[in-house]
Amino acid sequence: MTTGIADYAGYFLQGAAITIWISWLALLLSAVVGTIFAAAGLSSLWPLRVLATAYVETFRSIPILVLLFFCYFGLSLVFSINLSPFVAATIALTLELSSMMAVIVRAGIQSVSRGQWEAGLATGMRRWQVWRYIIMPQAIRVILPPSVGVYIAALKDSSLASIIGYVELTKTGLLVRESTGRNFQVLVVVAALYFVINYSISLVGAALEKRFQIVH
Amino acid sequence: MSTDTPPAPAAAGSSPGVPPILRLEGVVKRFGRRTILNGVSLSVARGEVVCFIGPSGTGKSTLLRCVNGLEDIQGGRILFNGQSVEAHSRRIVGVRRQIGMIFQSFNLYPHLTALENVTLVPIRIQHEPRREAEQRARELFRKVHVEQRADAYPGQMSGGEQQRVAIARALAVNPSLLMFDEPTSALDPETVGDVLAVIEDLAREGRTMLVVTHEIGFARRVCNRMVFMDEGKIVEEGPPDSMLNDPKNERTRQFLSSVLRT
Repeated sequence: MTTGIADYAGYFLQGAAITIWISWLALLLSAVVGTIFAAAGLSSLWPLRVLATAYVETFRSIPILVLLFFCYFGLSLVFSINLSPFVAATIALTLELSSMMAVIVRAGIQSVSRGQWEAGLATGMRRWQVWRYIIMPQAIRVILPPSVGVYIAALKDSSLASIIGYVELTKTGLLVRESTGRNFQVLVVVAALYFVINYSISLVGAALEKRFQIVH
Repeated sequence: MSTDTPPAPAAAGSSPGVPPILRLEGVVKRFGRRTILNGVSLSVARGEVVCFIGPSGTGKSTLLRCVNGLEDIQGGRILFNGQSVEAHSRRIVGVRRQIGMIFQSFNLYPHLTALENVTLVPIRIQHEPRREAEQRARELFRKVHVEQRADAYPGQMSGGEQQRVAIARALAVNPSLLMFDEPTSALDPETVGDVLAVIEDLAREGRTMLVVTHEIGFARRVCNRMVFMDEGKIVEEGPPDSMLNDPKNERTRQFLSSVLRT
């Protein structure tokens, strides 16, 4: 038995690490971009609200695979912009996930009552201080649970990057399969790794949720 | 109902020479096409306690919210310490720091303990040393009789306790004017008395206060001047006893007879 897949454990772990890394990066970028569009959506200026709606509805509607092809092949064909598989995958994931995050963050901000704003402003806080000390700490408890779901979605969606040749967990599995021919075992290992990663994140998410809970 | 003498005012309503702490000149507030305040003029001297009474929806609460710029105004002007109050200006922050506001629904921050609610602005915004801010907060808690609740979260407190913590929070920045927007309307009947007692203590200290209330008996005890508002206007104002015993205006008479009957 010279081709046991245990010999490839290092490759699998590396693939898993890359999957965790790229989806984490996409999640962080999505949180920032999503928060910007959430704020735009709540703005008193209508052009900003229209922009936010257009962004959310556009990228929520396009499948991640199409975005991925657009970033990797489309930009190259039309604008001669050649992105590496890593950059193309990160951008595609961020576009997709930030549209989800925008909706989640917006709901979180709206969950904090108007009276909280007024109490903060009435004590002489500036708007950003009210955001920082009063609104965000309360909004985070509404934002956190669905954000965990977004991260898990990112981890799974990042497997599509294997199609443009980015060597994350799924692509690693495909490569190992080619060199060992052990189709089923490879699939089981890849599936098990995804499960372990995602279930761990669920557990961390549940712990965080508890940590941020407000005493009633 | 007793007819105790009201606390002596630290300053008379319109003493000549002393500039008023607050002056409203023909204030107009509209929401869309609805006119909420229709030309309200009022002058408040330092140390005065002014109670606003009148039917619901006549602009009493809106009036308070215009004074600290939570609402902008569409006409007239508001002068606080001689300075114009403009809701959307940068200077509004300075005005608000001198005005403490107590809301009907308390609006404590649910993610912070009572102590953190009170020390948030002193520590985070005014960069006061934590020890001093907390010591002062505990003194304020003693004053409003919630000293044993310092580490409780708002969700763990009764409405009366929450409102007294909210009063402590307003006092923590040493405001020169306190505004109470129906401070007991959201409370269970058995906790109303505790909150009113605290407000009466503050009045006795000679603090300048504006109080919107439906508690007529309390208003009579606490204020130097009673203002009756209806349909966005001041209909009648005067010392509480003369207003309650001998209202000049027909609408005031109607209102008082309807609320005093119950």
